[in-house]
Amino acid sequence: MRNKASARRLAQRLNPYSAWIVLLVLVAYGAFGVRNFLSQMNLSAILYQYSIIGLLALGQFLVILTAGIDLSQGSVVALTSITAALVMTRYNVWLGIACGLLLATSMGAISGLLVSRTSMPPFLVTLGMMGVARGLAMQIANARPVPVYNDSFIAFGSSSLLGIPVSTYIWVGVALLCLFFLTRRPLGRYVYAVGSSEENCRLSGIKVPSVKLTVYVLSALLTAVGGVIWTSRLGSGSPVGGVNYELESIAAVVVGGGSLFGGKGRIDGVMAGVLIFGLINSILNLSGISPFWQGMIKGLIVLLAVALSQLRTRGGDKEEGEPANA
Amino acid sequence: MLKLTYLQQWKVRSKTDNQRILTTLIILVALFAIAAILSRGVFLKPSNLLNLVFQNAILGVVSLGQFLVIITAGIDLSVGSLVGLSTVLLMVFQFAGLAGALVMTLVVPLVLGLINGFFVSLRRLPAFVVTLAMMLFAYSLAQVISGGAGVYSGLNGAPLSPALVAFNKQVIFGIPYPAIVWIAALLGVSLYLRLSLGHFTYAVGGNELAAFLSGIPVVTVRLLAYILSALYASIGGILAVARVGEGHPASGQPYLLDSIAAVTIGGANLAGGEGSVIGTLMGVIILGTINNIMNLLNISPMMQPAVKGIVILLAVYINSRKKRG
Repeated sequence: MRNKASARRLAQRLNPYSAWIVLLVLVAYGAFGVRNFLSQMNLSAILYQYSIIGLLALGQFLVILTAGIDLSQGSVVALTSITAALVMTRYNVWLGIACGLLLATSMGAISGLLVSRTSMPPFLVTLGMMGVARGLAMQIANARPVPVYNDSFIAFGSSSLLGIPVSTYIWVGVALLCLFFLTRRPLGRYVYAVGSSEENCRLSGIKVPSVKLTVYVLSALLTAVGGVIWTSRLGSGSPVGGVNYELESIAAVVVGGGSLFGGKGRIDGVMAGVLIFGLINSILNLSGISPFWQGMIKGLIVLLAVALSQLRTRGGDKEEGEPANA
Repeated sequence: MLKLTYLQQWKVRSKTDNQRILTTLIILVALFAIAAILSRGVFLKPSNLLNLVFQNAILGVVSLGQFLVIITAGIDLSVGSLVGLSTVLLMVFQFAGLAGALVMTLVVPLVLGLINGFFVSLRRLPAFVVTLAMMLFAYSLAQVISGGAGVYSGLNGAPLSPALVAFNKQVIFGIPYPAIVWIAALLGVSLYLRLSLGHFTYAVGGNELAAFLSGIPVVTVRLLAYILSALYASIGGILAVARVGEGHPASGQPYLLDSIAAVTIGGANLAGGEGSVIGTLMGVIILGTINNIMNLLNISPMMQPAVKGIVILLAVYINSRKKRG
């Protein structure tokens, strides 16, 4: 009996770090079981690719904290990349980046306004915006990729500092900003509060609509930053790119301990969630597992990670409205 | 606080459902009118209308399964992959003869649906994530079986059964066979929702705790919704093979988001407990009509996702205004 209780206490204490534990296990497995896993080239390849998903996941996390969801991220990546590439080739790099960020942010503002001022569910609003952004990107680009000829912009995407990609610094920097926002700013605290109980927030005088608007705008902005880096890595703007990126970012948030019902999760967990997917991908590829099989393995891991994270909510605070037989 | 009995709740709910059905019908009629005017009457020609039904039978069937899951306050992201997997399985199983192939094709997705249902209803994991994992899993399984490419014959090289090839061209009283499958599926779901177990689906989605405390077998109802969703996705896959004569892992991709869009355009609430079969039917036809109009008007395929997105936003906006009225 006592053993069980102390095991539960230990599990509870480790709870917030379950994503990091999974990550550690993966690192250990990669280091000892997979050749070339710890090579500089492999690690930076993971970081190059997953810093972008990481930026998306931070935005997604903010939205998911308010019990929303942003399905438009993949399309917004494409829209940003096309806009930036087109303006860049005609005018200059900075204007291109600014236009990309601006257009993406305004898409986020539309989603945010629709979610906060009407009673439309976020899932459908962002599903609609996913179509709108994709169509817009295709139309602007005439369904063709737009090559970028600016060497310094292209070099930026694959540049590194002290052996770590610059995009990773950006990701970590943005994550720290998000952490500061969520823990030290009133508006950031409201983001958690809105996700926990919208009704209580409204009754406490928190302006729920503006909190919601903020998270959708921020999600689009972070997605756009990811989109700019993505463009620079690719060396061109692509209207068909970024498909299913939103699913990767959602999965990373959930594996990292976020709850789709809002109000739960931490920035570091989300970052661990992103890295977990990066490591899984890398391990599967380095082990020479056919891409056809990889989906099955990833599916199982997603399921396992969520089962693990659910275990802790059940061991800890019991959620309200949960039937007794659960 | 006023406490409603289960029956009273159901009556109140069905009233808002009725309102939604009416709104959806108005949207549908308006779209038909726009289509008729824009296409100078071509849209309303029987051949075009038949085409509309014919083209949307697969989405229609898949959406019905999605609908059942959505009214339990869940979501099934695996339907697209399951359609693709079923097309691959049906082709691969051709060696077993038509009947054998059909049975085996239905069994695999049923098992996968059972797994979805197990994790969602018994283990209480979020439906979004469980079915996302299943989406990855089923797609990957289909790729492994097919080698990632289209499949045109059975394991022993047996060609697609001629009966299935002819299936699409046959009609009864002028109604094409795929449409008849769709109608049968509609009747099946309507009937299921009138059975005692199916009837509880709304209660489970509306207020799970209340349903549980009223002695409703919450777990079983949920489980059945996911199994039926997989079954319908599988039937959709069979229809897809009859239509294109090929099995391909990616062939089901469009049905995921379209089925969710159709169900919600039809007035269902993603938070569960609200929605109707007839609304889902109209949702599918609305989506189909939009596609049809865009093709009739030669709108470039590049703009089509944007137009569709805007129509989804509009339809959902109109339907959501009634919610808190």
